[in-house]
Amino acid sequence: MSAAFCLLLYSGTLAVLAPPLLARLTRRGVAPRLGVALWLVAIGSVTGSVATAAGLLAVELARDWSGPPTTLMGSCLAGLRAAATGVHGSMVRSIVFSAAGGLMLAVGVVLLRLGRTWARARDATRAHARMVRLAGAARPSLGAVVLDVPERAVYCVPGRPSTVVFTTGALAVLDPGQVGAVLAHERAHLTGRHHLVIALTRGLCLCLPRVELFSCGAEEVARLLEMSADDAAARTHGSGTVLKALVELSSPSVPSGVPAGALAAHGVGVLARAERLAVPATARARRRATLQLATTMTAVALAPLVLGVLAVCGPLWG
Amino acid sequence: MRGFGELEAVVMGHLWDRGTPCTVREVFERLGQDRQIAYTTAMSTMDNLHRKGWLSRERQGKAFLYWPILTREQYGARLMRDALNVGGDPSLVLSHFIEQMSGEESAALRRLAATADEQGLA
Repeated sequence: MSAAFCLLLYSGTLAVLAPPLLARLTRRGVAPRLGVALWLVAIGSVTGSVATAAGLLAVELARDWSGPPTTLMGSCLAGLRAAATGVHGSMVRSIVFSAAGGLMLAVGVVLLRLGRTWARARDATRAHARMVRLAGAARPSLGAVVLDVPERAVYCVPGRPSTVVFTTGALAVLDPGQVGAVLAHERAHLTGRHHLVIALTRGLCLCLPRVELFSCGAEEVARLLEMSADDAAARTHGSGTVLKALVELSSPSVPSGVPAGALAAHGVGVLARAERLAVPATARARRRATLQLATTMTAVALAPLVLGVLAVCGPLWG
Repeated sequence: MRGFGELEAVVMGHLWDRGTPCTVREVFERLGQDRQIAYTTAMSTMDNLHRKGWLSRERQGKAFLYWPILTREQYGARLMRDALNVGGDPSLVLSHFIEQMSGEESAALRRLAATADEQGLA
């Protein structure tokens, strides 16, 4: 019971504190893959703690339900009863019961919605891949599908098989080296299975948009994955080529009816990508960032375990 | 934008490849070369596509002639815009090389690249 309470308290605190801290640590994208890992560990730590707390409460409730009423809910309830002076024991009991029941219900509902969101994402994405192959011309020499569209766009659609899509507008402005760099970027997304990470984080964000850790996390993870794919392309084609491809494809081809404000947020991400391509981080900065990220990640990963152990063993020591 | 089912996609692809209006019989015979399919299946698939607004049709004698309302290129353009534009389907998991930017942002990007170029970035 007290373990469940500690875990809930911990996940609440982390959910509030993590977004600004993690955003600051990963902003410049010095070690983007480690940055993604840190966000995922934080998200996993919070969701895992809540799920574990719900599980512990379920066990506790079941035991209490079937057992004699005198055992009630152990040490925690005794503490609560002492704290809530003037409130009758049975009332505290019913409050704790309904709170625990509500939590379990909420976890169940969220899991169900997550499952549905992920299934929809998978179906929509596979259908898009199929339709793009139908609508476009396969170009085996490029290893991509070309859509006859004047707008400049390149994107990849994961699926079976995964597909990289170029528009004729994009091919018209890129030289062969830049085409290679863009292709390497998209292939890095596909071989790195970035879509699974995106689906995971964005699914959480769609289901629980008001939890800042999820909304902020989805955005930051997407941004860091772009940077990681940029790095892969820069390794084979040079960061200058990747940067030039970014510039060539960045010219506005804004369709009417799209509010400018909605686009501005994306632009910031692209500028940050361009900056780190123009001035790559020094080896020293990279070592420092790696150390910082790794330390934070270890702390975030271990904290709930330590808390759980303390909460379980605490009464024995006391 | 609602997608095509698997068989619908095959039919649309065939009609685009042909480039001329086809009867159900012609499509059925072409489809039969690659797969086991009943004539009624071909007919209901094409009827569905007509009902959903993808195919136009006109009676010619006893049969209908079907043809796609959008060209393959128009369809591709719509597909891409639906997928990439702000406010498109949020459940699609795509990685877009670069999102659309405003003129100002693009100019800032160009300046940055020009500076990097002067400093001799490979």
